[in-house]
Amino acid sequence: MLSRVRSILIIDDEDDIREVAALSLEAVAGWTVFTASSGKEGILSASELQPDAIVMDVMMPGMDGPTTFKNMQQTPAIAHIPVILLTAKVQGVDQRRFADLGVAAVLFKPFDPLLLSHQIAAALGWPE
Amino acid sequence: MPTRPESAVAPDASAKTKALLADLWRRNRPVIEARLATLELAAAADPLPSQLRAEALDAAHKLSGSLGMFGFEEGTAIARQIEELLDAAEPDRALLASLGKQLRDTLLPSA
Repeated sequence: MLSRVRSILIIDDEDDIREVAALSLEAVAGWTVFTASSGKEGILSASELQPDAIVMDVMMPGMDGPTTFKNMQQTPAIAHIPVILLTAKVQGVDQRRFADLGVAAVLFKPFDPLLLSHQIAAALGWPE
Repeated sequence: MPTRPESAVAPDASAKTKALLADLWRRNRPVIEARLATLELAAAADPLPSQLRAEALDAAHKLSGSLGMFGFEEGTAIARQIEELLDAAEPDRALLASLGKQLRDTLLPSA
């Protein structure tokens, strides 16, 4: 049986991160990618588009990733969507703090564009 | 832009992704230049104003989180050192200047 095309919402305030993530997930995995540049926009997009998963930056101006995630958890229409946090923080204490939020996974920036889809699939238990 | 080792990705997808990345790196050059300039401005400032320090810290953080995507792993390591330096109570400005130059030479060797 062919696996269906996945859809991913990337939420990051940095244009280059959004562009690289989108082009890698589209070109390498053939997934459908949506993007948003802020937590607020991300919540609206997730509600409307109902992606299979959300990949979101931790540090964003305004509403940061952890706060956006908490808001998503309180929004019934999108609370079920798995969220992966992306962080450039390398300290173990930060990593544990993010993992303790209840997100599906924490991935690290910079990511390898050729491996990002594999990392996401592995974190979410998606067959490849 | 540095070349990446081959991975398990299908060759056509890998080549397409690399070409798109190279194009994005070229288009992204003004952003990289601006971030390097912010770091250099901070290294030259005496004293270092808190606003400029925050801007430089943000620039270093963004560089450390993005350069490796384009194959500049060494650039990410240098940017991370700069980020830690700017986060310290008393940043060593001479070291900041030296790392800033090292980062520029790594990213834009012909500039």
